[in-house]
Amino acid sequence: MKRAFAALSLFGLVLAQEAHRVAITHPFSPVNRETNFLLVWVLVFSVLIFGVVAGALAYITWKFRAHPGQQGEPPQIHGNDRLEVIWTLIPVAIILVLFGLTARALIQVNQPIPGAMKVEVTGYQFWWDFNYPELGFRNSNELILPVGVPVELEVTSKDVIHSFWVPGLVGKQDAIPGQKTRIRFVAENPGNYYGFCAELCGPSHARMLFRVLVVPKEAFDRFVEAAKGYTPPVADARGQEVFQQNCMACHGVQGKMPPAVIGPELAFLGNRVSLAAGIVDHTPENLKAWIKDPAAMKPGTKMPGFPQLSEEDLDALVRYLEGLKVEGLDFKALPKF
Amino acid sequence: MAITAKPKTSAWAVLWDLLTTVDHKKIGLMYTATAFFAFALAGVFSLLIRAQLAVPNNTLLTGEQYNQVLTLHGATMLFFFIIQAGLTGFGNFVVPLMLGARDVALPRVNAFSYWAFLGAILLALMSFFFPGGAPAVGWTFYYPFSVQSGSGVNFYMAAILLLGFSSLLGNANFIATIYNLRAQGMSMWKMPMYVWSVFAASVLNLFSLAGLTAATLLVLLDRKIGLTWFNPDIGGDPVLFQQFFWFYSHPTVYVMLLPYLGILAEVASTFARKPLFGYKQMVWAQMGIVVLGTMVWAHHMFTVGESTIFQIAFAFFTALIAVPTGVKLFNLIGTLWGGHLQMKTPLLWVLGFIFNFLLGGITGVMLSMTPLDYQFHDSYFVVAHFHNVLMAGSGFGAFAGLYYWWPKMTGRMYDERLGKLHFWLFLVGYLVVFLPQYALGFLGMPRRYYTYNADIAGWPELNFISTVGAFILGLGGLVWIYAMWKSLRSGEKAPDNPWGGYTLEWLTASPPKAHNFDVELPKEFPSERPLYDWAKKGVELKPEDPSHIHLPNSSFWPFYAAATLFAFFVSVAALPVPNVWMWVFLALFAYGLVRWALEDEYSHPVEHHTLSGKSNAWMGMAWFIVSEVGLFAILIAGYLYLRLSGAATPPEERPALWLALLNTFFLVSSSFTVHFAHHDLRRGRFNPFRFGLLITIVLGVLFFLFQAYEFYQFYHHSSWQENLWTGAFFTIVGLHGLHVVIGGFGLILAYLQALRGKITLHSHGTLEAASMYWHLVDAVWLFIVVLFYVW
Repeated sequence: MKRAFAALSLFGLVLAQEAHRVAITHPFSPVNRETNFLLVWVLVFSVLIFGVVAGALAYITWKFRAHPGQQGEPPQIHGNDRLEVIWTLIPVAIILVLFGLTARALIQVNQPIPGAMKVEVTGYQFWWDFNYPELGFRNSNELILPVGVPVELEVTSKDVIHSFWVPGLVGKQDAIPGQKTRIRFVAENPGNYYGFCAELCGPSHARMLFRVLVVPKEAFDRFVEAAKGYTPPVADARGQEVFQQNCMACHGVQGKMPPAVIGPELAFLGNRVSLAAGIVDHTPENLKAWIKDPAAMKPGTKMPGFPQLSEEDLDALVRYLEGLKVEGLDFKALPKF
Repeated sequence: MAITAKPKTSAWAVLWDLLTTVDHKKIGLMYTATAFFAFALAGVFSLLIRAQLAVPNNTLLTGEQYNQVLTLHGATMLFFFIIQAGLTGFGNFVVPLMLGARDVALPRVNAFSYWAFLGAILLALMSFFFPGGAPAVGWTFYYPFSVQSGSGVNFYMAAILLLGFSSLLGNANFIATIYNLRAQGMSMWKMPMYVWSVFAASVLNLFSLAGLTAATLLVLLDRKIGLTWFNPDIGGDPVLFQQFFWFYSHPTVYVMLLPYLGILAEVASTFARKPLFGYKQMVWAQMGIVVLGTMVWAHHMFTVGESTIFQIAFAFFTALIAVPTGVKLFNLIGTLWGGHLQMKTPLLWVLGFIFNFLLGGITGVMLSMTPLDYQFHDSYFVVAHFHNVLMAGSGFGAFAGLYYWWPKMTGRMYDERLGKLHFWLFLVGYLVVFLPQYALGFLGMPRRYYTYNADIAGWPELNFISTVGAFILGLGGLVWIYAMWKSLRSGEKAPDNPWGGYTLEWLTASPPKAHNFDVELPKEFPSERPLYDWAKKGVELKPEDPSHIHLPNSSFWPFYAAATLFAFFVSVAALPVPNVWMWVFLALFAYGLVRWALEDEYSHPVEHHTLSGKSNAWMGMAWFIVSEVGLFAILIAGYLYLRLSGAATPPEERPALWLALLNTFFLVSSSFTVHFAHHDLRRGRFNPFRFGLLITIVLGVLFFLFQAYEFYQFYHHSSWQENLWTGAFFTIVGLHGLHVVIGGFGLILAYLQALRGKITLHSHGTLEAASMYWHLVDAVWLFIVVLFYVW
């Protein structure tokens, strides 16, 4: 109970400062506006039908209650054929209208957009990989996209079925091993968008989040430029040593697709707004805690813990990792959706 | 048993009675009690889930353990509560009474179905006590997660397969009962709506269960022996799993709805003191739901990347199903309109259902609108939707039935105040739990999340409110349990017809005597309300001549057979396959079937007149065969998909056509020999009959031996881990081989009966059923020869 009240008051605070406003109704892409349009239509019809039927129910409950001492039987009516026709045809008509709107919207939403920028999205247990084949760089867990540019995500998985969902921008598609699904949209609003895995995939299905960071085009172009010619900065020499001894077997820092993918790309870790696949805020403390004991934050994670690292080595490693970034970009200032 | 001064039934005697009963009322009570127990258990799981989700980043139940609880919550509610209560629970108790019958068509099969059901629950729950724990893959056990996950999945797969036997036999039994045992003069169009709903649900289940059976079998085969259809590394398709799975699991929600619509119709009519409004339209609407229900499954798969036209087609049929469902709802309202509403507990559940199902149906239409579903799929909007229709819809219907038939089943009245309190706590609790969950869906919260972050606006508050609602429901549950206990302990004795009901069950005592009816039923049924019509006409009910009353004997063998089959499935789930225990339990099972077959069903041979002219065994088997055809059809459809898309190509070395043609000769001839043997039997020529039957069995054995040889050879020259075609071959042809063994065994049972002189001109024992099954086996073989040996 105490915990509940603590949590409740905490998110009053959180709400005031840091809360993401996640919603499927954000009109921040043409696709979302399309679904909002469908929602309006179905809600209008729903309110109508609900009103009529619930109204009938309320009327019945009030008007036809048996009174104490009531004699005889009510009229023994067996049916009304005309009524049957009416309450069959009206729903058919409503359904056909809604279906027509649905089919039109579906064709629209699934239409390939010529010239779309391609990003290869791959789901793993329990993180996300983003490869930009045309631009020649790779990032993990935070998908950086430009405002106003059509994007085509090619989504797949290398283990079990996951699902890629960023509600504030577009509907989801499943990430299926051996197959590719496609999500096409234009992000029209800068923001830090929460993303979620939406298909049960293991103990940390709830801890396989991500972010979509939509930035103005010129900021995106700057990032791409830096990423293409990226050499990982060495903010701490000892930290780099520790990294090479302990982390390099699974993690890359070049910002490019490795020959075999084992773990997330860390090239742009310093720029991240979140850690461990979107589950905690990016702070040095959280990073340190994660490295020491990943399983505590993410049950079933494949990343082992590193309790054997000394405090000094851990701090050096964190300094090194924080230094892996592209300068002049601040994603933390983006509005949170 | 010793004779004591005060006659008192010992606990052992009570237990033995239950273990051996074939009385549909006792079986119905056991089903009902078990199903509602499952509800309570799954309800406790849901309290754990909601407690965990009350606040962000909670640590009560996390990761794998949370996934185990959510899996068992779903599986228990769906497979062990909601699909059972309205269909096998109330259905078993009430349907024979409503039809004026003394029992179902196949009473021993009925008993077997119950014990197998209990076995399935035990299988699912026993997984907790094994090292791998309970299954943690969701009740939907998607591939490939389910083949990588812990050993709990094995138990879950075994439970589903065992439950499949139970429910298909139950479905066939209901249909045979409805076709054959209606009172004379009661046409199908004069049956109570509840009986129609049991009929429709049974037909739907028989037709579509094949999908789940296929999905379950293939996951189990993959886990146990590495035989896969879905592995993309060798050309398999993970989405094919979903096609199989949802082909059943969508229609099943209508199996989980229709009986309750039937119950609600009965309660509405009785408590409004009026006939059903639009009886014929209700029947047609129900059939419309059955048909359309089989055409919408892929709306669960909108996000897997199928073609746009595929998605449009399924969106269309899904939206359309709102129409017959609406007709049912409107006719229910029409039944209440203008009535003299007795505001008792059963009726409250009806009113609650109508209100809630309206919302649930509307949200279903929203989900059919594919681009909307791209957002809503796998979110809390879907969770809210299906709890809306399954809990506040069907679940309310289950409680309507429980309170309505409680006096009839227990002989006691319940406390109305407690019943009403229970209803209100459930209604309010339900709304408080699930309306916030619709909102959470709009706010982007995915389902099956063991926790969530505090930095998402609205999630913590809405989750907290939802959890409060869960505890209101929990309170309602306690009131319910207390109400039942109080009624059983000290409720007033119930009269025959406390509600003034119009259907035949209200003609019996509360609870009914073993033989159900003490009176001879009139042969006129002007409408579906016989008691109303007969009272109006002043029809006098004459007492039945006791010498006309024949009840089937109790039998130990249905329980024994279910128990040994259960043990077989435990050995398959818990141990590597194959293992010696499988064979031991199968042999013990076979022994039980022999004893069952050789036992007399009735003490004195009774001439059974059935309304359809076909024997109960014939009718039951004919409908059971629908499910067998469905199973081969769906697997063959999957095979065709894999073959035609180029994913499955036969390996260089494959079984030879000439051997298959030889086997075809054996099998086809055996159909002729059994046909002529049956012919001989009907002409009273017993020796030729027995000889013909023996030849049939010999031909079947020859087929089996050659097939076994072929399998042995092919197995050692192929690998189903590397070749999809090989996997499909062993699955389908192997499954057929299993059916040859089952069918052959059925013929052997008939032969043993013949040897013991139990097959006579009037009693054909197991022969009709076994020979029908054998013809099916032969027909399927012809397809297999073409698909796997010629092509």
